[in-house]
Amino acid sequence: MTESGAWWTLLAAPAMLFCLAALAVAANSVLDARDAGRSAGPAAAMRPFLALPRALLTQPRRLPAPDVLLWRAGIAIVPVAAVLSTLVIPFGNVAVADLSVGVLWFNAMEVLTWAGLWLAGWGPNAAFSLVGGYRFLALGLAYELPLMFALISAATGAQSLRVGDIAAAQQGLWYAVWMPVAFVVYLAGVLAFGFLGPFAYPTGRDLAGGVLSDASGVEWLLLQAGRWLWLAAGAAMAVPLFLGGGAGPLLPAWAWSLIKTLAVLAVLVVAVRRLPLVRADRYVELAWVVLIPLTIAQTLVPALVDLAR
Amino acid sequence: MNGVTAALSLLGVAVIAVLGVYGASWAVRLSSTPVDAAPFGSGLEPVEHAVSRFHVRWYTVTMLFLAFDMEMVFMYPWTRVISVMGTSAVIEMFVFLAILLAGVVYAWREGALRWT
Amino acid sequence: MSLRAAAARPRVLLTVLPGGTAARLAAERQLRLRDWPLAASPAQADLLLVAGPDCPGLRAPLERLWQDLPTPAARVSAPGADAVQAALDSGRAQLGSREGQLDRIRASAGAHRHGGRPAKGEEGPGGVHDGHGPHGHGGMEMPGGLSMAGVGEDRDGLTLDQLHLPLGPFLADWPSGLTVHLVLQGDVIQQANLADPIAPGGEGAAPFWAQPWIQADAGEPVTAGEAARRRSAAHLDSLSRLLSVAGWPAQTVVARRLRDDLLAGAPGPAMAPRLERFTRRVGRSRTLAWATRGIGELSTQGGKQAGVSGPAARAGGDVTDRYRQWLADIRRDLGRLDQPARLQAAEAEESPRGRWRAQHPPSAALVTVLPALLTGAELAAARLIVASLDPDMDELLPTRREVRAPHD
Repeated sequence: MTESGAWWTLLAAPAMLFCLAALAVAANSVLDARDAGRSAGPAAAMRPFLALPRALLTQPRRLPAPDVLLWRAGIAIVPVAAVLSTLVIPFGNVAVADLSVGVLWFNAMEVLTWAGLWLAGWGPNAAFSLVGGYRFLALGLAYELPLMFALISAATGAQSLRVGDIAAAQQGLWYAVWMPVAFVVYLAGVLAFGFLGPFAYPTGRDLAGGVLSDASGVEWLLLQAGRWLWLAAGAAMAVPLFLGGGAGPLLPAWAWSLIKTLAVLAVLVVAVRRLPLVRADRYVELAWVVLIPLTIAQTLVPALVDLAR
Repeated sequence: MNGVTAALSLLGVAVIAVLGVYGASWAVRLSSTPVDAAPFGSGLEPVEHAVSRFHVRWYTVTMLFLAFDMEMVFMYPWTRVISVMGTSAVIEMFVFLAILLAGVVYAWREGALRWT
Repeated sequence: MSLRAAAARPRVLLTVLPGGTAARLAAERQLRLRDWPLAASPAQADLLLVAGPDCPGLRAPLERLWQDLPTPAARVSAPGADAVQAALDSGRAQLGSREGQLDRIRASAGAHRHGGRPAKGEEGPGGVHDGHGPHGHGGMEMPGGLSMAGVGEDRDGLTLDQLHLPLGPFLADWPSGLTVHLVLQGDVIQQANLADPIAPGGEGAAPFWAQPWIQADAGEPVTAGEAARRRSAAHLDSLSRLLSVAGWPAQTVVARRLRDDLLAGAPGPAMAPRLERFTRRVGRSRTLAWATRGIGELSTQGGKQAGVSGPAARAGGDVTDRYRQWLADIRRDLGRLDQPARLQAAEAEESPRGRWRAQHPPSAALVTVLPALLTGAELAAARLIVASLDPDMDELLPTRREVRAPHD
């Protein structure tokens, strides 16, 4: 049974999310070094974090007539929403607050990135950035509904929107096993709301970085942090939704949560590197014609199982 | 902890962290005088403001999306009452979804999901 | 202290001047080995690296980019490949020097007081050919001295806002020396106008990728292996750009690494399996093929009419067909990387972008087909089209007078 945590979980949850994200960045950097023919040691893992002092030292830039308020707000929304999503993600048997509408909360936070990235694209009054912001909206129209149906499949299986209940309902058989479509679509959704890898369309290099093209210093840092924090949050949420939460033999619940989260995170990092980018204009058609019917069919399975119980 | 308190506190933590990053930058950066920059244009000067009415060619997809988004509003509470309501709940929900999907198929056939 | 830490891994905005291919290749190799990331825009960059011989016509855009870099920033130039190492070391030293950085801030603050912004009209490389430039909105003073977007009809007859956006001269993963002025509605290209190629400063060297063929033409001894090696490396270079634009950074790095090893003279038998693996992975990627299908159709017939002769003409199709043609050509050359036989008359073997004729370099034809292919495409598709044709603008330099890019 998942319980709501004490006050210190308010600090522990973001801290753990941050560590997971940093771990993903480090792993990605090591794989980068290996591909590029450099030595792939611990030094390579630490190199991306040199961007931190660099971003803090950077002088601000003044663009002609930017929408500073919306720009800053948009950029801040991405990492802040990622942190807020951890409210309902249980670690072991403890969540910051195991809301009765936990799944909905996670979903709502993830949708906030729509606003965040679009505003981040609109704010600087720059063409590449603007196109990048709109790209995310088009991408959102494609990835969001399959993701919602994937979340609902898990909720239907447990007949509850409480994340703790969903984890507890997977006694013996993980949802990832008998709802594989929902699981895969959910993982694709994580990459999409983290705008990484195959879904890095809004920050595409063909747009000189898109929404990142005119972000420098802290703005750049927050957006980059936001996408990796989201990847970590998505990996952590996959565990209670599809992998039975903290349940497992021998080890305590928190250890199982950690192991499973790291495994999902590893899969996601590999996917980020292995898959080429999918543009929204192609993905929309696939999402609506194939993924949405598939995920609806997937939702029907737990609904029928519920009736048979 | 109460859900609302926890949510607001977590928001506070996140906002303080973001402000902390801005504050740290303000404290250590080399200069607080902003550099006069132009939006990136491959080295050329911009000729007009980029903020404009953007030609969104996927607006028909947004209409479809709205229909499904409203459907989601029903579906979230529905997940909680399947056993209570029994077979009728499942039949009604999936007939509704089937109707929406028929709309998607029609829109697809009309080419609404392609814009390039 | 922290300045030194920040300077340990600078992000580099690599700008390439006409005739700077060799310097660019050396720079890309060095940056890869040093793990200094390539920035795509000045906002993200610390170090502005100018590769290639000084070019007076491009000084204004370079100055623009330099002003757009926030401090800490450094600017170094490497006119040739051998100057790259020193330039990078100097750049790192400049970035780590607090005094130097404070000087830059003071200088820019002074310039700001005297109206530091470069006047408009210093637009750099060749203006737009026809009169579709910015509309001179008289009257109201707009913030930032810029006008709002004007309106124009789109392809469906709707009246919509238009934005003017140049691609090039300095854009990441873009053929150096190419500038296309776009008129955009949303992200659809209504018009694409090619700017005149920029004259290089001084006497330009022979275009790097066509060198063996030019030497063979001049009667110098060139081995077939050398030519095959250069051709494969050129295709890998083009592929690395295409993969970067298409959004597959991991394979971009692999392509660049293979290219660098080929040019460094790694023995053929060692290269073959690695090239095999790369071409198989990229060639078989269904996602990449799916993302590039139906974009930039150029039939064999249409290509031939425009004078296109190389892989682009043989592929005769869309972006997917063209990159697969490059991959097939690389595979075909696998066994010939060390061939000692002399390169026969240049006619017999194709240069990377087509049959080499000094008066009609193959890239000239690739450039002429661009405007028609770009018009009506999305911005993302446009970048893929340019990357899949990848004209080498250096080839156009010696015969600049003959090559007049048409505009519509």
